[in-house]
Amino acid sequence: MNQWEVFVMDMAELAEGKDLALSIRTLNPGRHKYTYKHVRCQVSTNLDKHPDRLQVRMGRGQLSAAKFSIQVIEEIRRLPPQYA
Amino acid sequence: MNSTQEHKHVSKISAPRSNREFIEACVQAGDAVRIKQEVDWENEAGAIVRRACELGAAAPFMERIKDYPGFSYFGAPLSTYRRMAISLGMDPASSLPEIGKEYLRRTNSEPIAPVTIDRKDAPCKENILMGADVDLCKLPVPLVHDGDGGRYVGTWHAVVTKHPVRGDVNWGMYRQMMFDSRTMSGAVFPFSDLGKQLSEYYLPRGLSCPFATAIGLSPLAAMAACAPSPIPEPELVGMLSGEPARLVKCETNDLEVPADAEIIIEGEICPDYKVEEGPFGEYTGYRTSPRDFRVTFRVNCITYRNNATMTISNMGVPQDEGQLLRSFSLGLELEKLLRSQGIPVTGVYMHPRSTHHMMIVGVKPTYSGIAQQIGQLAFGSKLGPWFHMVMVVDDQTDIYNWDEVYHAFCTRCHPENGIHIYRNTTGTPLYPFATPQERKYSIGSKVVFDCLWPVDWDKINDVPTLVSFKNVYPQDIQDRVLANWTAYGYPQVK
Ligand SMILES: Cc1cc2nc3c(=O)[nH]c(=O)nc-3n(C[C@H](O)[C@H](O)[C@H](O)COP(=O)(O)O)c2cc1C
Repeated sequence: MNQWEVFVMDMAELAEGKDLALSIRTLNPGRHKYTYKHVRCQVSTNLDKHPDRLQVRMGRGQLSAAKFSIQVIEEIRRLPPQYA
Repeated sequence: MNSTQEHKHVSKISAPRSNREFIEACVQAGDAVRIKQEVDWENEAGAIVRRACELGAAAPFMERIKDYPGFSYFGAPLSTYRRMAISLGMDPASSLPEIGKEYLRRTNSEPIAPVTIDRKDAPCKENILMGADVDLCKLPVPLVHDGDGGRYVGTWHAVVTKHPVRGDVNWGMYRQMMFDSRTMSGAVFPFSDLGKQLSEYYLPRGLSCPFATAIGLSPLAAMAACAPSPIPEPELVGMLSGEPARLVKCETNDLEVPADAEIIIEGEICPDYKVEEGPFGEYTGYRTSPRDFRVTFRVNCITYRNNATMTISNMGVPQDEGQLLRSFSLGLELEKLLRSQGIPVTGVYMHPRSTHHMMIVGVKPTYSGIAQQIGQLAFGSKLGPWFHMVMVVDDQTDIYNWDEVYHAFCTRCHPENGIHIYRNTTGTPLYPFATPQERKYSIGSKVVFDCLWPVDWDKINDVPTLVSFKNVYPQDIQDRVLANWTAYGYPQVK
């Protein structure tokens, strides 16, 4: 199970049952911890619904008590091809 | 003193020429501690630096980092005046006015041009990562504060760029967060030199801007990178250290970087790609500026010394480099500006605990409106966005003595005539008191506190007399009291 984290200004950004585009960072231990991916995903407050876990921080870094499960559907490439 | 003599004098300086020499000098002076046990890059290193800052303790040199054998950290490099004195090659016990005087003397001397050395002689080229090997996670990038938006690569560093037409070189300390293995985003504000370069030239043309981030600089190179001086930083380093800065050409672009730096990250600033940056603990002592899409740096190459040391400034409540060093250089650069305009200032001082928000200016009040003139020059200058209060006191008030300044403020500043407010000026997203809208668009407002007796008051009948030991007793009485102080039964006053 992968652990992810997301920053939001408002919990409404984490609407359930919809495809969301989020920048999430990995909390898996190791050298790449805290690096981001921009992904298309679905989230749920039902922790059994999706394979990975997502924790949430608010705009100034405050850790939220809310916990989500998350399904990363695909990575969205925002990077223009010339920089790849 | 003519300029040749001045130059000779300057070249006698023996300041540490690299971060390594600086660490050694600090250890020798008892101003750095070697931490031999393993330290975690995730929070632990940051917490050590933060505590050292809050205690005014020795700088931590952390020799073993979890997951990163062969790398080390040096934290809180210039968060005390002692270390600032060491960085300038001065006696660590030098007083703040002495350090300030020396900074002014050196930065008013002849510019000393940098030299470019061969890459085979440049320590920063000992290891080179290119192409698929480039990965910022190979560097021990720390999570400085729990809850930060990311691990910060650049907290004590210089981002090197060059204006493609004018050729001006800029070294600026703009924080840089690791977004992914090859991407960083940074807080480059629109009024900064790099911000202007991007908005004037690169962004309208859709061109990427080559950059190089140098980490683990000599302390004077770092001081130059965060000094708001109009002198190009490579020359400023030469003036501060009394000898030419040693530069070397980058591997993937035409920029030149300090050859003795510990780590160099080369790449391009993307005009058409932005990723999120922040939040981050800031010099005001808060996490204030909103997470936002900021200037984005794509990394093409990393070079580093063997056993490289990453430098960490941990900003938060006083006092760290964000307050101490910036207060120091902002104050002294304002002093130079005011003197260049013929204003009879006796000195300028920013108390680090004001988080460089309040300029205290001492002046001989020789004409009306001098406090407002000072405020307008200060706020209207390049320094202006970084502070919002100017307090002007007379030449009899010791600007370094907060008790005296506070007394002058509370007794001489007329609540209606002495407080002048300027609206809709330039601000920064970092001001904790600013509204969310003001933070987003760097909108500021400013205030001058005029603590001078009005020039049109009668000096004999209208200006109150200061009732203090020094001011109201004849000299012979003062001398007698001082001479007999211990005989009266008081302990010696130091
Ligand atoms: C530790 C530290 C971190 C800083 N971070 C930033 C930053 O993220 N963005 C910024 O615009 N200025 C930052 N500054 C202030 C700049 O270094 C300073 O304004 C410098 O003069 C920038 O150069 P400029 O005059 O080219 O803009 C920082 C200063 C220090 C000491």
